[in-house]
Amino acid sequence: MKSKTGIMKVKDNFDIWDFVQKNSIWLIFVICIVFFSIMTPNFLRVRNITNIFLQSSFIGIMSIGMTYLMIDGNFDLSMGSIMALSAVLVIGFMDYGIPVAVLLSLLAGSAIGALNGLFVTKAGINAFIVTLGSMLGVRGLVYIYTGERALVSSELAFSEISAASVGPIPLPVLIFLIMLILGELVLRYTSHGRGCYAIGGNYEAAVNAGIKVDKHIIINFILAGFTAALAGILMASRMNAATPTLGMEDHMIVITAVVLGGTKLDGGFGNLIRTLGGVLVIGMIRNGMNLLNVHSYVNMLIMGLILISVVYMDQKFDPLEE
Amino acid sequence: MKKRFITVILCLTLVFVLVGCGSSGDEAAPDIDEVVIGITNNNVGIDSYQTTHYETFREEAEELGVETVRLDATGDPALQVNQIEDLIQQQVDVIVVWPVSGDAIVPAVRNANQQGIPVLIANSPIDESGFELVEGFAGPDNLTQGKYAAQMMKEALDGEGKVVELMGLPGYVTAHQRSDGFNEEVENYSGIEVIETQPADWDRSRAQEVMEDFLTKFPSGQIDGVYAADDNIAMGAINALEEAGRLDEVKITSATMFGDGYDAMKEGKIYGTIYQSPVEDARKTVQTAVRIATGEEVEFFNYFDTPKVTLDNIDEYERPIW
Repeated sequence: MKSKTGIMKVKDNFDIWDFVQKNSIWLIFVICIVFFSIMTPNFLRVRNITNIFLQSSFIGIMSIGMTYLMIDGNFDLSMGSIMALSAVLVIGFMDYGIPVAVLLSLLAGSAIGALNGLFVTKAGINAFIVTLGSMLGVRGLVYIYTGERALVSSELAFSEISAASVGPIPLPVLIFLIMLILGELVLRYTSHGRGCYAIGGNYEAAVNAGIKVDKHIIINFILAGFTAALAGILMASRMNAATPTLGMEDHMIVITAVVLGGTKLDGGFGNLIRTLGGVLVIGMIRNGMNLLNVHSYVNMLIMGLILISVVYMDQKFDPLEE
Repeated sequence: MKKRFITVILCLTLVFVLVGCGSSGDEAAPDIDEVVIGITNNNVGIDSYQTTHYETFREEAEELGVETVRLDATGDPALQVNQIEDLIQQQVDVIVVWPVSGDAIVPAVRNANQQGIPVLIANSPIDESGFELVEGFAGPDNLTQGKYAAQMMKEALDGEGKVVELMGLPGYVTAHQRSDGFNEEVENYSGIEVIETQPADWDRSRAQEVMEDFLTKFPSGQIDGVYAADDNIAMGAINALEEAGRLDEVKITSATMFGDGYDAMKEGKIYGTIYQSPVEDARKTVQTAVRIATGEEVEFFNYFDTPKVTLDNIDEYERPIW
């Protein structure tokens, strides 16, 4: 798994600590499972596992877009706002039929992503500033569009999308997993995937090597917008309604999941399989702490502690220095 | 390096163990006869009304000898949906929901309903499409509180006068009910007229601005009374009236007392208000939930007593800490 970035040297002797460090997320994953299944008898039931996957799939879908962005060295703070916008748009356009409404809100999300990308690449503004701006601006749009109240869908059929399942797998989970596998394949085997690693690894070198840096970055911002919109649509379907405060902190949770998965904030390293680990760990903590009757604020504290611990563990680890 | 790594893992384990110990008290082996109430709150930390409600809920449940799982949606409707599902997984005997959004919880409540777990709505109503899915509602009767405020306004003005209304945030059922109650009651009084209604969004500074506009629009002598949806709004209006030197011209009634309003009433600035206690609110909710869990029939609307307060009887009440 670790040689896929093409920048690791083949080592003569296998260093177990090195391996564990790079896969720290799976260690935490196992600790979480052991801890929660000891503490609460309901945790490992099939229904609760399905439940965790379902609850994680919305954050998970967004984390796909975010992983791509972070591999090329950028990130997107506006994903939570885009998610809210597409959720209210899909409900608002429901009168034109479900397919049109879904399509329009996917388009809106992708368009905002494209704008983010254009400002970052063509105008050369820092991604933090650009997406901070669109986070605020898009949230404003959401409030204006909704008049600060919840929009409720008149179509009961719309709520079937998130409620549907293929065999035992809920539809949002299936969408998440399929996108994850496709995303991983694209990262590994296409020029776009390799381009992302190259840009994040060494921007100047990528430019000099003739990689169309701007194109790749814009594509990733569009992907981030698209995944946020998709998550928003599924979330709206789950509630058959959309509230303007939806996803207020989700961009932070998504970034946490991706960083937990070992993707580096300065880019060049990471993959979607480990992002899945990060997403599931967060899902387990949220679910498990609820089962344990621990206050939501403690969840945040735990997630913060784990995040800092993981980054601390990764601190010394830099694939370029080996 | 290895040492550091081990240290971090040990720290993580410690965090989990600590959390585990902290919550193990609530998590004693479930007795078959023992009732477990699950609640997902709106946003516990946001104001002292909700904090007091949260604490009293625990105390009252302890007193009645029932176990509780108390969660907090922290104002996030999507998180609340997850929490309802986690409570379903835990197979609590009754789920109490203080809705963040009365609309967005309907599908999740339907799910609980299908799993055979009764749901009690607390404090703020669920959307009417959810009425058939829940056992009932426990909380304040805001319509009646609005009517009481109108009755006190009639008293204060001797049955004759022009009134402006500052309502809560549009879209909030509570805001509409307090307004509707007041206006319905006023229609019975030929001498009292509501000349204009404006939203003050539960916000003190917004209330002050709206009142300033009213004072510009209606010169001295054209306003005899101000009806505020709660004391927070009333305090904003008082600020504007004092600045304009017209506080003596008007009588003020509000639909819910807060600590500041208590002081203002003692100073004679507010004529009448309603005592809505989070303690009574939480007690009523726990009692109703226990009755539902033990299979008793309950009324759909379970209101707690919200008495009128004027200078005559204010000493019977403690100054609200909310």
